[in-house]
Amino acid sequence: MKFLDSLSIPREKLAAFQLPAHIAGTVAALLGIASLVFPWSYSHVALDDVAYAGAPSALQFNYLGLAIFVAVLFAVPLVVRKPGKLRDAVAWNTGAKFGGIGLFVVGLVAVLAIGLETGGLVNVDPGGWIVLVAGILALVAGLVLDPSPAPSMGKFKTPRVVQILAIALGLGAVLMAAAFALSLDGAGAFLFYLVFAGVLALTLVRTGVFGWLAQCAADNKQVLVLAAFVAAFVFPFTQNGSEANMSIATQVLIFSATALGLNIVVGLVGLLDLGYIAFLGAGAFTAATLSGSVYAATNWHPPFIVTVLISGTVASILGLIIGTPTLRVSGDYLAIVTLAFGEIFRITMNNLDGTDGPRITNGSNGINNVPELSLLGFNFGAPHTLLGVEIGRFANYFWLMLVVLAVIMVVFVNLNRSRIGRGWVAIREDELAAEAMGVNTFGLKILAFAGGAFLAGLAGAVKAHHDVSVTPDQYVFLESAFLLAAVVLGGMGTVLGVLVGATILKLLPEKLRFFSDYRLLLFGLLLVFMMRFRPEGLIADERRQLEFHAEDEELAEEVEEDLINYHDHYNPDALVKEELK
Amino acid sequence: MTAVAATPEASAASAPSVLLDAKNVTMQFGGLRAVNDVSMEVKSGEIIGLIGPNGAGKTTFFNCLTGQYKPTAGSVIFDGQPLPPKPRRVVNAGMARTFQNIRLFHNMTALENVMVGRYCRTKSNALDAVFRLPRHRREEREATERSLELLAFVGLEKQADTLSRNLPYGDQRRLEIARALATDPKLLLLDEPTAGMNPQETREAEDLIFRIRDLGLAVLVIEHDMRFIFNLCDRVYCLVRGEVLVSGPGEVVQNDQRVIEAYIGQPAVMDEGNADA
Amino acid sequence: MDLFWQQLINGLSLGALYALIAVGYTVVYGIVQLINFAHGEIFMVGAFGAFATWVVLGSPKQLSWQAAIFGVLPAMILGGMIASVAVALLTERLAYRPLRDAPRLAPLITAIGISVFLQEFVRLFFGDIPGMPDSKRAIPFPTITGISGEAWHLGNVTIQLSSVFTIGALAICTVFLWFYVNRTKTGRAMIATSQDPSTARLMGINVDRVIMSAFAVGAALAAVAGVAHGLRYGNIDFRMGFLAGLKAFTAAVLGGIGNINGAVVGGLVLGVVESMATTFIPGQFGSPAWKDVWAFVLLILVLVFRPQGLLGSKGVDRA
Repeated sequence: MKFLDSLSIPREKLAAFQLPAHIAGTVAALLGIASLVFPWSYSHVALDDVAYAGAPSALQFNYLGLAIFVAVLFAVPLVVRKPGKLRDAVAWNTGAKFGGIGLFVVGLVAVLAIGLETGGLVNVDPGGWIVLVAGILALVAGLVLDPSPAPSMGKFKTPRVVQILAIALGLGAVLMAAAFALSLDGAGAFLFYLVFAGVLALTLVRTGVFGWLAQCAADNKQVLVLAAFVAAFVFPFTQNGSEANMSIATQVLIFSATALGLNIVVGLVGLLDLGYIAFLGAGAFTAATLSGSVYAATNWHPPFIVTVLISGTVASILGLIIGTPTLRVSGDYLAIVTLAFGEIFRITMNNLDGTDGPRITNGSNGINNVPELSLLGFNFGAPHTLLGVEIGRFANYFWLMLVVLAVIMVVFVNLNRSRIGRGWVAIREDELAAEAMGVNTFGLKILAFAGGAFLAGLAGAVKAHHDVSVTPDQYVFLESAFLLAAVVLGGMGTVLGVLVGATILKLLPEKLRFFSDYRLLLFGLLLVFMMRFRPEGLIADERRQLEFHAEDEELAEEVEEDLINYHDHYNPDALVKEELK
Repeated sequence: MTAVAATPEASAASAPSVLLDAKNVTMQFGGLRAVNDVSMEVKSGEIIGLIGPNGAGKTTFFNCLTGQYKPTAGSVIFDGQPLPPKPRRVVNAGMARTFQNIRLFHNMTALENVMVGRYCRTKSNALDAVFRLPRHRREEREATERSLELLAFVGLEKQADTLSRNLPYGDQRRLEIARALATDPKLLLLDEPTAGMNPQETREAEDLIFRIRDLGLAVLVIEHDMRFIFNLCDRVYCLVRGEVLVSGPGEVVQNDQRVIEAYIGQPAVMDEGNADA
Repeated sequence: MDLFWQQLINGLSLGALYALIAVGYTVVYGIVQLINFAHGEIFMVGAFGAFATWVVLGSPKQLSWQAAIFGVLPAMILGGMIASVAVALLTERLAYRPLRDAPRLAPLITAIGISVFLQEFVRLFFGDIPGMPDSKRAIPFPTITGISGEAWHLGNVTIQLSSVFTIGALAICTVFLWFYVNRTKTGRAMIATSQDPSTARLMGINVDRVIMSAFAVGAALAAVAGVAHGLRYGNIDFRMGFLAGLKAFTAAVLGGIGNINGAVVGGLVLGVVESMATTFIPGQFGSPAWKDVWAFVLLILVLVFRPQGLLGSKGVDRA
């Protein structure tokens, strides 16, 4: 918002243009709808084949939905002139503003993607150009519009049934969107869809609909969490046994679970752990060694439950060895010592090959042929048929990872909302004052650090079986930086943020092959830009946001209001407060 | 509002016993002797004042008591036990403090700030928290109750959900006191509790300190406001250049020629709010 | 005994390399309390800058030793310095300065980002500069007649001239640095700022300039180290800054971070420990494959037993 304000003309001068802007915006959106009558390109390779006149492709249908939505946003204030319940419930103008800008961005991406995929802008047909023109017009109209006052929708009293229905519909939409995104093949199509989804989400947030959804979610937390897991559980059924997509989805889950563990250390306590991937590796190597693989150094093959616990314990012992000396000194040193630890780990795993050290890991060859997991007689490697859908190997691991992720989520959320979580916030805010108030700062830091390592060890144990082979070069510093990027992008201290961040960062290189060589370059840049412009991440933890914007008084007021509205969703336990009232 | 129950230990002691016994405390930084051979006795239920010109070593002495610094020489006996030189242990032993320049957790609400003070009196561990075991639930409930009580005690019951950074200055001072009280102290150390307050707020602070004393706590106050100190304190210590110049009941110290000289000798006499180096 | 002297010489020259880089960490940390993770990459940029200068000079090969040592080598060092100082100042201005009042985590994460970015940038785009070789694999460093491949023999001890160059460069740089810090206005302003930035500002010191000179000094020394690295190992690659940077940081902590003399001593000690470890630790763990591990174990031991470092007395508690 501030960025937009800084670039637009003084507001008073625009007052006279509000009506024309509404009209122009509506026309622009209608123009966008009309573009579907024409082909966007005569080449069939662009996007998901947008060459047919009057027969929109899936992506074009998405665009149609967005255009209709934006048209409504622009048009309603034209029709409903008087303030009233309908007029005040939704921030029509703010929504239209962002919708207009979004329509432009989406249009631009569409034309550029067509141009790039077909080898030149000459291959863009009238439909494509109309989309671009509609976008430019909508952009101008959006920039001219005055933002509307805060919407009242979030404060509506909604019947429980409607709320739950809204949650179900919302999650259903997310599920379908995820399945659809995975099914897209072309890089251009995927990028277009990603931008489209981002624009749609941002517009919804700005209209205040999200505020209402957030209220629904806050009122029905258990339902929400349950429904989210049901949605994730159902996901494999939407894939019709596509192993490739399920493999990606499972990797996303492994990555998310690890990033969430890292977020306890970085997001909740504010310690920079740059060797986190090594703890994942420690878990993976331990599990592989105990897996009964012919390459393993021991023949002992305990049940998986035991293996998982040993893996976590090994990782957390390493965490204690690294953390105890370092955390006594200063948080800054932790960053570099964990970086060094990451290197020690990699080198050590490489050296335990029988030449430079005892034969434990087979050096750079690693431990191969890790057998499939078998839990209570259920073989994770074998496909099963469930409800008429073939559930393959990756879907099995997907479900297992879902359980691991749930465990890590529970640990994250419940620790955050306890005396321990309050202690962590106090340490972040003013470590000296926390110590002077009797908080065991060193103990709490160690707990987070070693606990985070334990969770990484857990995830590593599953990863070893999922990957079939465990080699040292999977667990190098750049992977730690990659994890950190997911946390920073998504939002330090939030669960949802990390899930979003991890999903985006893992999907992008999978879907955009051309992009893979520039992957790390862009992630490095991403870290720098996020810290400069949005250090709290895409989905911000409110307290974190305040810490990063210490001077922002307005933000402080807003957050406080939210705290009272939602009965403070972090500390102290909302239930306890309820009982007291 | 409900009165806050006095800590059992403090109320049980019928005859005033020596709570804090600091003997010959010396703190040396390189060539600078900030605190020199200071001895002090605080009995339970007493309000003791600590005055002195800027740079006299008052805050340094506080830091020696509360474990921020380890005194170079001397001993501190608190409640019959030698004090461990660790801020956290000192709090556990029953001594809590406020800071000269308010050090609240600014992005936490008033209630959460006070609940951090309860940390050292609760025991539930990570497992209790993760599995929401009974101990966690009970302690969380008790901590919330007790913290709300304390907020009411200092007059902030309506601001429980306000972020502490959004509180007015005077309320922040009171919140800091509530946070210190949440640690169940036997002795409360206040570092310039009225700095920057107007006369009205100062009177309220005075009243608050009397009420804290009535709970059975001992209070040790650093102040520059002489009227405040002599109204409030049973005994006053005057510290000059790291040494105790005079100590005794308020009237005695107030009329002591040396104290007056020590202050007049310093041009910035009673300008409050200056940094106490 | 010969082996001991040989390893001592090897260790000292390796340590001199670490020391040259470590100064950059320590100077910046002393003033802004920032661990500049990207400093290792500044060192790498310096080496590539020196290499590029050599190419610009027409890739001179068959030179007399006088022309090589007094013409080409100084030009390469200068070119490397220009590259590394420019990059260091850019990162300071664009990335670190806006975050000076932000929570400590923010500049640390930024530093990681810059480090990854610079590595990848050199890997992907150095080869695109006309005349430069592909940088995705190691690039052979130019040979300097009179230094590369030459050695002195003292009894059974061999001293590579590239080692002599590194140790000599460290000696000269240390002297210059001492003069700069103690005898120039900017240097004294640096000391003042490191002790109390806000008072320094009140005294009319331009703190921004002081911070920039700290970055610049560190980067210039890192460029010298870059050239020394090239001469010592005969090639450079985009990854070289990572491990060297880590070792140099270890050296800075070993000597006492924030203390310039400490960085020099710490570097030399670390170098000697590393080369002695590969010789005198018996069995498999004495193999060269473990030497990096021993260096980091030393780092952790220092943090346990003497967190203020060998020469440090204060400053640690400020962190």
